[in-house]
Amino acid sequence: MRISRLYIAGSAIVSAIIVLLIFVTLIVNSSAAVAANGFHLFTYEWNPAKDQFGVLPMIFGSGAVTIIALCLAVPIGLMAAIFTSEILNPMWRAPVKSVLEILAGIPSIIYGLIGIAFFSVWVGDLFDLQSGRTILTAGLLLAIMILPTIITLCDDALHNVPQKYRETAAGLALYKYEIVKDVLLPIAKADINGAVLLALGRALGETMAVMLVIGSIDRVPEPFYNALSAGQTITSKLGREVAESAFGSVHFSALIFMSLLLVAITVSLTSLTQFYFKQEQRLVE
Amino acid sequence: MSNRSIANTAFVFLSRLATGICGFILVFLIGVIVWNGMNSMNIQFLLSEASNFGASGGILYQIVGSLLLVVMASVLVMPVAIGTALFKSEYITSPALFRLSSILIYSLNGIPSVTFGIFGLIFFVNILGTGISWFVGSIILAMMMLPTIVLTTYQSVNSIPSSYRENAYALGLNKWQVIVKVLLPQSFHGAVTGLLIALARAIGETAPIMFIATAFSGITVPGSLFDPVVSLPTHILALAQQATNEAALQNAWGSSLVLLSLVLVFSVSALLSRLRLKEISQR
Repeated sequence: MRISRLYIAGSAIVSAIIVLLIFVTLIVNSSAAVAANGFHLFTYEWNPAKDQFGVLPMIFGSGAVTIIALCLAVPIGLMAAIFTSEILNPMWRAPVKSVLEILAGIPSIIYGLIGIAFFSVWVGDLFDLQSGRTILTAGLLLAIMILPTIITLCDDALHNVPQKYRETAAGLALYKYEIVKDVLLPIAKADINGAVLLALGRALGETMAVMLVIGSIDRVPEPFYNALSAGQTITSKLGREVAESAFGSVHFSALIFMSLLLVAITVSLTSLTQFYFKQEQRLVE
Repeated sequence: MSNRSIANTAFVFLSRLATGICGFILVFLIGVIVWNGMNSMNIQFLLSEASNFGASGGILYQIVGSLLLVVMASVLVMPVAIGTALFKSEYITSPALFRLSSILIYSLNGIPSVTFGIFGLIFFVNILGTGISWFVGSIILAMMMLPTIVLTTYQSVNSIPSSYRENAYALGLNKWQVIVKVLLPQSFHGAVTGLLIALARAIGETAPIMFIATAFSGITVPGSLFDPVVSLPTHILALAQQATNEAALQNAWGSSLVLLSLVLVFSVSALLSRLRLKEISQR
């Protein structure tokens, strides 16, 4: 009895310690960069040889690829979810869901390989560029990667709206378009927002695929909306440089600082998502 | 036709178009992986050692290495995950502690995969001085698998009707006996489903293990837990970076098809296990 309680409390404590240990390790190891650079971390120059560690180009890159990905994936994903939930014969819903799950399970390194072999070549040819490894290519690839997540969560959100709303709306002789726009979407809004936030977190944290196709140049493009130039995201920077920098150096510490920023953003997004999904449950009751 | 009817027709057309685009992407992705993968697929490729930096030879040891990593990770994570799920479901009484535990688990789920790799590099490789090894890779993968397994196990333990517990207590069983004789057998499928879902994700992960567990070439089966391994995802990464080399790219496609098949084995088993779970809960 005592051993059993020790086991259960022990494993809960181990789980909690793992989470805290990750945060503490990141904070401790990024402190050197903060001490050495202070607010100079938020500048545009990254040059370890000159002790310049400005993280803004990477933050810009992460933001840019994520925005491109969401702008492409959210409209297409939402429309496709409306089709699978409201128009498609319900008999087909289960197979469609299984296929989406399989798509979501393709490892990101394979997306990266497809990105290198096809997308970067297409973008390069289409816009007549020297290299097709651009911010746009990374955004396109990310859009495809988060599409299954968005479709399946939006489909759940719409499907969870009780049938009586549809029946009442149809009884008022509303068209399908009006039912979806004026009845279903407002009710499912919280869940759909949650889905987008979750996809946003995924897109920000994605490493391998982005790293292979973005071109890895640490500057904000000129002008800044030129998505056809190479860039760098926080994750691609980490993937490329962590192994090359010496442990304990300011360079290493600056990389950890970026990682800490990323974790802070994605963890708050995931927590926010939980808040959204919970709120919806109360609404349906 | 009225304006309303036109809007409706346009709307239905757009949603069909969006679905069509998604279907096209699906066919393209699967088609590309299978078509290119089949071209380099043969028994020789599956059963021989990589040579010439992966550009020729096969991927036998990459497959073995990937499996070793996730099997060890499963062994490490299962006891902790089941204990944590039981703690969350059966022992927590204060709402504040419950919320804290949820926040911690969701935080762990929200941490990007590359961060796990960096954490492993700092904490295990540098501070504890373990070196780049199979064991460290498995520990980090186990950490990534933890939230998924805890959540699915928790759900299946928590959904057992309280009449089961009450009956067991009425028969004179103590809490631990209730857990071992009643709750765990009833929720076993939940834990297995969670493990399979987590495995399907873990085996394809590259970023967490590339700094801490894998070496690129010249390694067969690790001699001990503290030797580096080779793995499929990092092999694909290395080959993809020499994309101008036709032979390397060819082998990357072959490795991708094998990796995807492994992922599918796990995710289809998870699907089946979940269906069985549903059947049991409907009885």
